[in-house]
Amino acid sequence: MVVIRRRSLLFLAMLVLILPAGAHQKQDTLTTITINAIGGLKYDKVRFQVKPGAKLKIIFVNKDDMPHNLVITAPGARAEVVNAALNLGDNGPEMNYVPGISKVLWSMATLNPAETTSLTFTAPEKEGVYPYVCTYPGHGLVMFGAMYVTNKPMPAIESDPNIPPGQKGSDVMQHNDGHPVSHGAKPSPPYTQDPPYLYRTFVPDASPTAIAVNLPGNISYCWDAATCHLRFAWEGAFLDNTEIWKGHFQAYSKVMGAVFFRNKTRFPLYVDKPGNVPTVQFKGYRLVERYPEFHYTINGIDVYELIRENREGAGLTRTFSIPKTNRTIWFAFTDDDGVDYHSSIGGLANGKLELRPGKDIQFTITMTKKK
Amino acid sequence: MKLPILGILIISVTIFSGCSSDKREPVADSAYEIQSISAPDWLTYETGGIDFLPDGRLAACFQRGEVMLYDPKTKEWTLFAHGLHDPLGIMAVSKSEFLVIQRPELTRVKDTDGDGKADVFETVTDDFGQAGNYHEFNFGPVKDKSGNLYIAISLPSEGGKIMPETRGRIDTNGVSPVQFSVVPYQGWILKITPDGKQIPYAMGFRTQNGIGFDLDEHLLVTDNQGDWVGTSKLYHVQEGNFYGHPASLVWKKDWNRGSPYKIPISELDSMRTRAAVLFPHGIMSKSPTQPVPDNTQGKFGPFSGQIFVGEMNSERIIRVMLETVDGELQGACIPFIDGRGLRKGNNRLAFAPDGSLWVGQTSHGWPGDDGIQRIVFTGKQPMDVYSMNLTSDGFDLVFTQPVDSVAALNPDNYKFQRYYYEYRQKYGSPRIDVQSIDVENIAISPDRKKISLVLSSLKPGYIYQLNMENLRSGSGDSLANSLICYTLNKLRR
Repeated sequence: MVVIRRRSLLFLAMLVLILPAGAHQKQDTLTTITINAIGGLKYDKVRFQVKPGAKLKIIFVNKDDMPHNLVITAPGARAEVVNAALNLGDNGPEMNYVPGISKVLWSMATLNPAETTSLTFTAPEKEGVYPYVCTYPGHGLVMFGAMYVTNKPMPAIESDPNIPPGQKGSDVMQHNDGHPVSHGAKPSPPYTQDPPYLYRTFVPDASPTAIAVNLPGNISYCWDAATCHLRFAWEGAFLDNTEIWKGHFQAYSKVMGAVFFRNKTRFPLYVDKPGNVPTVQFKGYRLVERYPEFHYTINGIDVYELIRENREGAGLTRTFSIPKTNRTIWFAFTDDDGVDYHSSIGGLANGKLELRPGKDIQFTITMTKKK
Repeated sequence: MKLPILGILIISVTIFSGCSSDKREPVADSAYEIQSISAPDWLTYETGGIDFLPDGRLAACFQRGEVMLYDPKTKEWTLFAHGLHDPLGIMAVSKSEFLVIQRPELTRVKDTDGDGKADVFETVTDDFGQAGNYHEFNFGPVKDKSGNLYIAISLPSEGGKIMPETRGRIDTNGVSPVQFSVVPYQGWILKITPDGKQIPYAMGFRTQNGIGFDLDEHLLVTDNQGDWVGTSKLYHVQEGNFYGHPASLVWKKDWNRGSPYKIPISELDSMRTRAAVLFPHGIMSKSPTQPVPDNTQGKFGPFSGQIFVGEMNSERIIRVMLETVDGELQGACIPFIDGRGLRKGNNRLAFAPDGSLWVGQTSHGWPGDDGIQRIVFTGKQPMDVYSMNLTSDGFDLVFTQPVDSVAALNPDNYKFQRYYYEYRQKYGSPRIDVQSIDVENIAISPDRKKISLVLSSLKPGYIYQLNMENLRSGSGDSLANSLICYTLNKLRR
């Protein structure tokens, strides 16, 4: 909460800085506004201000993966224009989804993905809030914004009734603040209240097939199902999935804590001799007391790896089980990956642990965050 | 059992007649009722997949990773698994085992200790790439009678990115200005044999968010309008065929022609297999989803064996009727449910053992709604087109009820247009060469259920769109759906 309040103050401060600049526009110069159509049926810019009679150029860019247009309507006529566009029915595509009614003041062509167009015009002399909206069928209810033709400041964005409810955070869509946004009273899923639990999702610094696991004690790690190894671990909160769950645009789950371990080996298990990086295959995982135990093969040899939080000290306890094989396997690590190592069977030397062939192997590696 | 149904009927009729002043067409019948299924507060109700267990319970997966079971008898949900990555399809194997397609893998999710919760997640196949693009959706699985599984891998979008680290070999020949294919087997249908072998099966798809078998074991796949897809489609998919989007060609075995975009469009056009049914954009569908055959043997009404297809962008379910003409499947599409309380976002369909059709909905950043609804046949016969079949000189329309002859014999009541969509790289296509086609003769069968229309011209390669007016049953029910579109690929020989 504290953080959010500080952000709004910051935002107000920015608004104060921006507004005088807008108010000093000269009528004889051309004001250029760029509006991008972005994923999730949105314009990235949901409002802007011009003086009455100002010359204006709107550059419209479609950064989304579906077609969009931009229609500027008379004040208060957004819904009427959207409905008239819907009633075009079969004729909609040929008419660019723009109805031939007087409430349409200007329109910009329906753009396919990655296309750009522009429109230069003179803003009305009459002050008012002139809506702009995408009249492509199905979009008009949520995809709109407001052109303020006025000499006065625009209202506070948080209470601006002329912009989409979901975009009242700022004039331009931003999605990099990393703080969880409150979405009303929707409770969290029950399984997130009681670690361990996992999410398969996109996280930075891993392949797209990451498995992010939250452990008791505010420890989390990322294990990668493409590379079949532990990538990194962090301390603190787990993930912020806000952006990725909006759908329909590129995003990551945000790692919320401080990373204390990052793997620097080419692969933590070698076959036959040190440095022999094996070919891996991900077989899945099973839940042991809700902790995932990963199953994968290295050069065809089965490996099971179960990762828990340390009993003492921040870190991870990794238990490897390898059924009997006639190959020698090495566990490998580096000194500069952020943790100290301890092996349940001893034998750690020079960043390696040799595991002799001929019997079932089980060993535990304790990784404790360096002080 | 009769009484409650009658009760519902009376209520429905009352409600609908009360709405007759509304601008919308008055609802002609209450053959179908729509019910909404509620879910726990905490669930983000974005339905990625639904299927039924033989005991009548629903298995559903949701886009934030949950697999849940719903018992229609108790109306209770239980959480079976969670943590999956954007699961968009589920198949119930048994009450303790499900196949789920997620972004990274096709996964077997099992409860092995009998506590009702999954504890084993086995990789069935991950032998395809992952670029980390938000639009890289996977769909399926469906199973044929021999036990082979089929999954669909869609194309990433230029609106998104490729991650710095990917899974699978990158081939930049598949890069294009819009949807592209950079890792195997984006834009493909894959087959997985019962012994686990993966076979690249068919290519040329864009965002094929719908895969299913009809009752004759034809593999049907829908695709979404966009680049190289002038309007959305339903394909009959057969091994080795190319269906039109070139990006996927780079993963064809022994491909040695570099960028498929450098191949002349006329050559690509001759390589591709035409869709069995086209859904005219904005007229029939904007984003078709899962096709499922009516296997209820009448429990769901008169359309046994026909195909129902979801529609994401509007409050619509589409019905498809297929026939074999000159050795190939083609046919017609018609709205089935339009509005009447149905929501948008109709992503997944499944028939319950009781014969009701369940619809899983999702928005996930696109226009639409979330949730699950259930469509129940009340027992009253709808007045609707049962089938539309090509004849040597026109079409036969068969209706579910005898038609009123006076209206049926009036040629002004049939407005035929024909047109086609262009095969091109540019997004979508306008309708091309739109022409009105005259009805030259009308004949009606003795039972007044079949109307034979003779048209002034039949030309392959065109959609024949028919808008019917004033047609009604002998007992006065007006036609439930007056728009039907036939995809004429081949003439009758």
